[in-house]
Amino acid sequence: MAELRNVIIFTIGAVRYALELRWVRDVVSLGFVTSVPTAPAALGGVCNLHGAILPVLDVGVLLDGVAGLPARQGDGALVIEAEGMVCALRVDQVDHVASLHETAGEVIDATGRPLRLLDPGRLLHRALELVTAEAERPG
Amino acid sequence: MSGAELDFDAEELAMLRQLFRTEAHDALETVTARVLAGGSAKPSAEALTEMMQVTHTLKGAAGTVGLPAMVEVSHRLESALAAVGREPSPWMAATADLLVEVIDAIRGYLDHLAEPDADARLAAIRTQVDQIVRPNLRAESQPPAFVDPLPEPVLDALADGGPPPEPKPWLRVEPARIDDLMSSAGELLFDRTRIERRVQLLRTLARDLARTRQSLHDALAEDTEEAERPERPMMRGALADADAALAGQAALLSQTTAGLLEELEALRRTIGELQRGLTRIRMESARSLMTHAARTLRGLRRATGVTVELRTAGEDTEFDKAVAEHLADPITQLLRNAVAHGVEPPDVRAALGKPPAATITMRARQDGNSLVLEVSDDGRGIDTGALRTRLVATGRWNAPRAQLANDDDVLAALLDTGLSSRGEADELAGRGVGLGVVQQAIAKLGGEVKVSSIAGKGTTFTLRLPLSTTLAQAMLFKVDGQVYAIPNVHVVHLAQAGIQVGAQATTWIVGHDTLPVLRLELLLGHGAATERRPAIVLSFAGKSLVCTVDKIIGAREIIIKPLGPLLAPLTLYAGATISGSGKVQLILDPAQLVRRAYPGAPAAVLGAPDDRSSSPTMLTGRVLVVDDSRAIREAMTSMLGSEGWIVDVAEDGARALQMTRQLRYDLLITDLEMPALDGFELIARLRNDDRSKDTPIVIITSRASPEHRRRARDLGVRALVAKPITRRKLLEALAAR
Repeated sequence: MAELRNVIIFTIGAVRYALELRWVRDVVSLGFVTSVPTAPAALGGVCNLHGAILPVLDVGVLLDGVAGLPARQGDGALVIEAEGMVCALRVDQVDHVASLHETAGEVIDATGRPLRLLDPGRLLHRALELVTAEAERPG
Repeated sequence: MSGAELDFDAEELAMLRQLFRTEAHDALETVTARVLAGGSAKPSAEALTEMMQVTHTLKGAAGTVGLPAMVEVSHRLESALAAVGREPSPWMAATADLLVEVIDAIRGYLDHLAEPDADARLAAIRTQVDQIVRPNLRAESQPPAFVDPLPEPVLDALADGGPPPEPKPWLRVEPARIDDLMSSAGELLFDRTRIERRVQLLRTLARDLARTRQSLHDALAEDTEEAERPERPMMRGALADADAALAGQAALLSQTTAGLLEELEALRRTIGELQRGLTRIRMESARSLMTHAARTLRGLRRATGVTVELRTAGEDTEFDKAVAEHLADPITQLLRNAVAHGVEPPDVRAALGKPPAATITMRARQDGNSLVLEVSDDGRGIDTGALRTRLVATGRWNAPRAQLANDDDVLAALLDTGLSSRGEADELAGRGVGLGVVQQAIAKLGGEVKVSSIAGKGTTFTLRLPLSTTLAQAMLFKVDGQVYAIPNVHVVHLAQAGIQVGAQATTWIVGHDTLPVLRLELLLGHGAATERRPAIVLSFAGKSLVCTVDKIIGAREIIIKPLGPLLAPLTLYAGATISGSGKVQLILDPAQLVRRAYPGAPAAVLGAPDDRSSSPTMLTGRVLVVDDSRAIREAMTSMLGSEGWIVDVAEDGARALQMTRQLRYDLLITDLEMPALDGFELIARLRNDDRSKDTPIVIITSRASPEHRRRARDLGVRALVAKPITRRKLLEALAAR
């Protein structure tokens, strides 16, 4: 049964994605991005968001293992919160907000094209997995 | 208030000082006149009060224009005048002349501020002032300290805030002692984070173990159901044993981890209480900040002639003293900015129907986990339309952005350091002067600045600061253009001139010790082969090491921010801090650096140059990775997978043994210390099995002792790699024949 979802539609590289609005805390333009040596490619760096440390994630790496453009100051980003974690997803463009029907992890946009509906919980878990794997644990 | 150099640009400061000099001459003239009026007799109580008041005002003004020596001299003079007024009075016939001499000397000092003998003049003045208080005083004696003549807050608005609080019995403690304690408590925070990470790993491990056991259990049950096949009984027996063992271990691990978590919770509470307690010791009410504001405003009023009143609210709001100290300069800046650019001249105000005297309101309050400090004026406000035009005209914004941005965003742009450059000295540019400094200072404290304005009604600057801040001393340095920090308590020595690093330089001799060198430029960056590099010598838990960097910046006070759950597994970092320009700077964990520098550290980072050109060629096939750490299994899977290997994993020797009986592996990589069946035992059993006796084996271990190496060689192990595992070390081991 197709369920109605309130989503934000955005583009990363050549791909458009949808994400339910309830996970989105803010749409921001990134401040200076500090790179984190020894971190996996999925972590594009860290930013200062209102005095807190905000990890910036690369959706491409998390979903398909393909890195997108490096996150830079001034890039657009969605600040999302799920599973007790807050992070930013770097995006190239935020298109619009819409109410769309979800079927099997996809939504169909106004032009009839299917868009992948991102699951932020799964994205963050994947990110945590990658970070944990990359962290060398001596002893 | 020596921060005046920061508050004003050189031109403004010079102008303000000129104004101050004029004001000071007038004030000192008043004192001289009162003294001379009484001949050699002790001045009347009223005359003394007036003299003290002008001196006090002088002190405030001197501070505002960045003349700390003058502040001190005025304070001393004020104290001396107070002493004269008390009984028994030190007044003597000669005191009148002495006072006049002192005043003349101060004027002489002010006229020759920039000259080399200014310090000598000051010293002479101090001696003279002290002689007023104690006529028999010899030049070398110390003056009486801390005789505060007037109650310190001479506030306009506070005056109607009721009587001053009753004095309480105070315990006087040197601030440095509290700071030391705070620093130790800050250290405790790092320790706690480290322990928490390990417990978190344990917890994951316990969960994994339970899950593994469950799948084993399920497989076993399934196997029993179809137990008709003749080749299975032995297998079943082994599985049942392993299942039982696993069940016991999983339960024990869960219990231990749960217990550890409880104890950690208790530790967290205690550390929290300790820190809150220590912070409370350093808490002070906003009153001193308000006093600072009143004093600054008084100075500005005298210097500029602008009539402006200060109103205050929330004086009892408490601040960490360390934070409050950092707020003094931003407040000075905001007041100066308001007086110079926010407030209209009296005639304009009158025409607008506003009271001729402008009002600046300062409010402090606690809002949830934040402290909020507001500085508002009732002046002309900021013309956001003009600001939009300016932003576009100066090329900072493009036209669509300026159109789309709301007023809040436009006002926020005022805080950009770049907006008000010299040569744009109109009202708008003026309004932005120095706000960059405010922004930076507040960002450094982990806070935010907001501007709001209503045209014609006034402007409000809101400073929002975290209620509790963990300040620590850190050594800042640069690698690959990024700034990093190390807790300063662990820094024992700096080699600014640099030490020689090269292909073989893995140690450096400091005194009688030969220390390992950890090349942070290689660990954190790409590290060009500079021959000499600045180095920081660290000591942690009794071990020392030398870290080479690109550039040492120096010691700074920083705010420690947690990295958050997502980044917590990156043990190299103990946290982060935010620079004045709002950039995140990572704090390295000295414990991890020491761990990396001592046996087991990867060669690429430890001294030897990173030569990626000689990357060895690889064989590939199916590999079994045996390690009880999920993190290491994942890391190895990723490393080997990207080299074309098909990777299977096992959590311990017993499981690995089962897997090797079912599948033929081209390579086996195993840890030594594992539950159920350890690495050596696993290898011994594999060597006794025809199917696996020739399988190449590589050991990864944190126990790379000669004894282990010998035993490994005896078992025909191809290579032994010391943890932590890096891609390069792994590939080299695999290439070894």
